[in-house]
This record gives sequence, structure tokens and C-alpha cells, in this order.
Amino acid sequence: MDYNFIKSRLHLYAVLQNIEDLVQYDDEAKKLIKDWNVVIKFSVRKSGDVYLIFENGKCIVSETSPGKANIVLYFTSPAHLNKMFDGKANPIPLKGITKLSFLTREFPKLTKRLEYYLKPDDQKLKDNRFVTINTVMTLHTALFALKELLLFDPIGKHIAKKIKGSVLMMNVDKGPAAYLEQKGNSFEVHKGYHNNPLAVLQFKSMKIANDFLNGKMDAFSAIASGAVATKGHIEWLDAVSPVLDRIALYLT
Amino acid sequence: MKLEAKGATRSTVSKIKSKTYTYTNSQKLFQRALKVIPCGIPGHFSPAPLVPPTMYPFYAARAKGAKFWDIDGNEFIDYMCAYGPMVLGYNHPKVEKAAGEQRQKGDCMPAPGKIMVELAEMLCSTIAGAHWAFFAKNGGDVTNLAIMIARAATGRKKIVMIKGGYHGVAPWMQGYGHYGVIEEDVANIIGIEWNNVGQFEEAIAANPDGIAGFIATPYHHPTFADSEMPAPGYWQRIRQLCTKHGIVLIIDDVRCGFRLDMKGSGAYFGFTPDLACYCKAIANGYPISALVGVDALKTVAAKVFYTGSYWYQAVPMAAALATLKELKRINGPALMNKIGKKLFDGMTRICAGYGFDLKVTGAYSMPYVRITNDPSNMLHQEWCAMCTERGAYFTSHHNWFVSTAHTEKDIQKTWDIVDDVCKLLKKKYGGKY
Repeated sequence: MDYNFIKSRLHLYAVLQNIEDLVQYDDEAKKLIKDWNVVIKFSVRKSGDVYLIFENGKCIVSETSPGKANIVLYFTSPAHLNKMFDGKANPIPLKGITKLSFLTREFPKLTKRLEYYLKPDDQKLKDNRFVTINTVMTLHTALFALKELLLFDPIGKHIAKKIKGSVLMMNVDKGPAAYLEQKGNSFEVHKGYHNNPLAVLQFKSMKIANDFLNGKMDAFSAIASGAVATKGHIEWLDAVSPVLDRIALYLT
Repeated sequence: MKLEAKGATRSTVSKIKSKTYTYTNSQKLFQRALKVIPCGIPGHFSPAPLVPPTMYPFYAARAKGAKFWDIDGNEFIDYMCAYGPMVLGYNHPKVEKAAGEQRQKGDCMPAPGKIMVELAEMLCSTIAGAHWAFFAKNGGDVTNLAIMIARAATGRKKIVMIKGGYHGVAPWMQGYGHYGVIEEDVANIIGIEWNNVGQFEEAIAANPDGIAGFIATPYHHPTFADSEMPAPGYWQRIRQLCTKHGIVLIIDDVRCGFRLDMKGSGAYFGFTPDLACYCKAIANGYPISALVGVDALKTVAAKVFYTGSYWYQAVPMAAALATLKELKRINGPALMNKIGKKLFDGMTRICAGYGFDLKVTGAYSMPYVRITNDPSNMLHQEWCAMCTERGAYFTSHHNWFVSTAHTEKDIQKTWDIVDDVCKLLKKKYGGKY
């Protein structure tokens, strides 16, 4: 699999899913989509489709078609999608031309809000609310990206063979959680807690999680001091560590 | 009521006797270390696989017999034995005397000492099928040399090894995906399952005249998993196939060596390897490893250029000679297995009394020990950590080691600690497990 393909999968399935969290946690985004009743399909040739379903003040990001899409944004190639994420290309609207003003005025306000949270800086990180939302998104992005890399990245595919039967959970103590579960020949990622995870990476606080996930904390120091706890089948956590490190190869 | 040595059972005393340790100095020193040493403590001594690390000591201050003391002054009965090298007990008088005497004469010199020849003679007369010996420092030095000799002898590239087997840290020994390992490093490695002769036959068929060597540990002792003994006839069949197809049969006896049989683990399982790698127990903690081989490979071994700055140090050789003599005198492997059997049979009974299933796999002298009640291993990790912070140093991810220095008193104290911890866990979890 080539670089652009994998990068596009990460954009589609690891980055866009953050809109679910954005409209849940950010008041501005929540207000923005309050009355939206629309399904936007991102369709990327030779990569995949994803549906953003806005309904009743919530958003669900799904790989499965909800039946119809009001708007279809088409990308001729994985590279085309990646260029859009870099701000250097636009999608081709195949359906929903009549909703052009929504696409050019309303939807970009949401994506700008998403960008705001996905690009932390020192000033923003002084705000606890920002830290929480950024941490939730980073944690979810990591696990959804991990799934894609285990399926398509050359090293990821190799590592995937070593974590058969795994249920890996990442969580902040008394805070947000998500887990990756191996199912058949693939993996599923779910937001929330698993009742019986087989391997756990747990952060003592939101701040520690944020520093750790954004590479601002020495992992060994964090684990040795107990700020970050690993337990269960830690050999699986160890195995996926180089795969998690590869996210940056695609999403920087 | 004290547990009886011959029949450890659940204690009837309800009061928890053992105190727990704290590790303030270890944590402080680790923070200092992080500033100047990558990951503070690299490699297999890293705190990372200790769960949770906060319940383990990071630094040792001293060691004697089967015990070590950390820099916080805590005393531990050591069931890791420095991850294998300690076999007769730390600071063993006979080994230290031999090493000390050699140190007075000379250690790192511009030529090897006479002791190198004496040690080679000792290995050749001790290990079945060994006609020569080559010395290095670490197990990985000699597993790597074994591969080079196999390739030089056969003119072939491929090496068959067991999935999950550990032979050191050179790129070919680590799996693709590990940091710093590229596809080309493992391009000539064929991984097969342990105890699966059929897969070896398939590998031979798929690579006619292409396989230089087969390398495996005498029995399968991976980390994070139960140990597995060879199936009946396994090694004999592997031996036959290697002989038939001109493949060099290598055993990595680095961990098992002199913990199963003084004649080598090949003799223990009834076969003769072409090359056998030794380290760990060979010198009771002094840095030395050895590759021994059959006569037919001696000329090729001589042609492979392989050396290191400290590989001719005479002190570790003197320590190795003294260690081997003492192990022979007391039949060390048999003694360690006897001590281990008593210890682990007792522990199993104590755990069972609380409803915990303690599974002991591999040889009693170096078993993998695991509480099986919880498939996530979290209960087992908690049990190991709680025993450690009460003075019995248990790890949850690696096989343990028993030495000839573990005493009846050590066993009794270990049983007491295990009993206390099982009682606490039972109280905590009730009937959950």
C-alpha cells in the first residue's frame, strides 16, 4: 500500500471521527450543528467512504451507509483527499449542489473548529477545557489510526499478526476511554470502556494523558513513576508501540 | 502456624505478617538516570515490563547468596538470579577466590591466559558432543557466531528459528517491526512454530539446499507465555532432518545451560547438536559466553573472524572454571531442580488453598510461573508485585530462576509471603477469580 493511500485512510477514519467528539464537547460546535439534519458522504476513489450523519444535535461518523446522503463529496484519489486536508484542493460535490452555501459557509466553520482542537499550542493548553477536548481527540485518533496502520501499513501488518485476540484499552483514570479489539481478520475501535480489557494503558490525569499522547513526556519516566500505568498483556502494548509512533509519519 | 517444608498449605493464621517496601531512592535515582541514560535503564532490566513498576526496586546495592538488597535497604529473595547468570549464589567463595587469584595474575592482557585453554578443555570434557570451545561475552555474541559458522560451512543463507524464540538483540534475532530492524535484516530468517516438525519439513522443501542452520532453545521459553517442553521425539526428528539435508543444528543453551544437565541440554533431551551456545550460568555472574561445537565444524569456526576487546579476559574464565567445577561437584542442575520442585509444589498448594491456580511450566530450575485465573494476567501481575514488595522478587513476564544457594529458610519465607499475598488478594476479590 502506498503512502497516500494509508494517509487518506487515516484522514477518513481517524481524523474525521473527531467531529463526533467535537460536537459533543465543544459548545460552539454544538451550537453550530444544533439544527443540522444532513448526511455528508466523503467518497475517496481507491480508498473508502465515510458518512458524517448530523441529526438531533449530534454527529455519528460511520463507515456504513445510513441509506442516503444529502451531500456527496468525491475525491478522485487518496492524494486528492490528502491535498484537501492540507488546504490545497477542494472536493468535487457530486450531490448536494443545492446545498452549496451550507458547504461553503456552514460546514467550514465546523472543520475550522476541529482544526482548532487538533492543533494545540502552549497558549491553548493553558485552558483546561481545551486540554480535555484535545486529549479525548488525540486518544481516539491514536486508536482509530492504529487500526488503519495494523491493516495497511507494512510494519503495522506485520505487528498485527502478533496481537491476535487482543483487546487494548487506553483510558484516563476516571475519564475518557477507547479500545481496539481484534475481530476475525480485522480490528474494531470503540469509544468508551471495555468491561474486560486484556491490556490497558492508563493515564493518571488528563494533563498526563495530553503530555504523553502529544509526545511531551518521557514515556519511560511516566511508566516508571506510575503516572502512566500499563497492565495485562503488556506485550501487546509493547508490540503496537512502534506502530503508534508511525502515525506521525502520515499525519504531520 | 508455620508452613511445613514438606507440605506447604494455606496458613490458618489470619493476621498478615509481612511488611511492604518503599522505593524512594530507586525512584529518585531513576529520575537522575533519565537525564543521562536513554530510558533510564535500558534493555531487559528496564522497569517497563514490571507491573506496576512502582512496586519494584530499580537498583541493587549488594547481593549475597540467593538474596539482594536494593538502594532503599530492602532485602529480596531473588528468583530472577540476575536473569540467569547467578547459579551458585552471589559472591560464591570458591568462584570469588578463583577470580581474585586470577585478577592478581592478570586479566585483560595482550595475549590470552593459560586459563582459556583449561576452560575450553573443561567444556569439552563436560558437554556431550563438544570438541572445541570459543569464548565471547554475551549469549548474543555466540548465537550470532553460530549462524555465521553455519553459513560459512554450508554456503547457504537461510536460518530457521522458532517464532517467539529469543537469541539476543542483533537485528536478525529481533522481529521485523522492532525499532531499528529493517526487512533486509530478517530476509533470510524463516520462523516456524515450536514443536512443529512439519513446518520445518515444509521450510526445507520450499528452500532446497537453501537452509544453513536451525536454531532453537532446548525447550521453548518465550517471555509472556508458558514454557513448552519438546514433544516426544521432536529433537530426534529435527536432528535427523538436519543431518539428512546438511543443515547445521544449533541449540541456544544460554538460559537452560547447566540448569538441566551438566552435559548440556542436548544430552538432557537425547540428541547432539552441531553447535551449542552457553552464557548465563557458566560463570556465576562473570561476563563470558561460549560456543561449543562438533569436530566437523572446527575448521570453519577457525576461519570466521570474530572477536571483541574483552573476549580474552582471564578473570571471567577463571570464574567460569571454578563455577563449572563446583556445579559438577554438587550436581548443580539436579540440586536446582530439587529445590525448585519443593518451592513450586509448595507455592502451588498454597495458591490452590485460596482458589488460585498457579501454573508452573518448564524446568523447576527456571520455570515460567503464572496464576491462570485471570486471562488478562492482571491478577498474576498484582500477585507478583505484592510478593516482591514483601521480599520475594517475582516478575510476571519472564521465566524465573532458581540457584543452588536458595535455602530451606528462603523457601519457607517465600511460602509465608505467598500465603500472605494470596490471603490479601482473596480478601480483595472474594470469589471473582
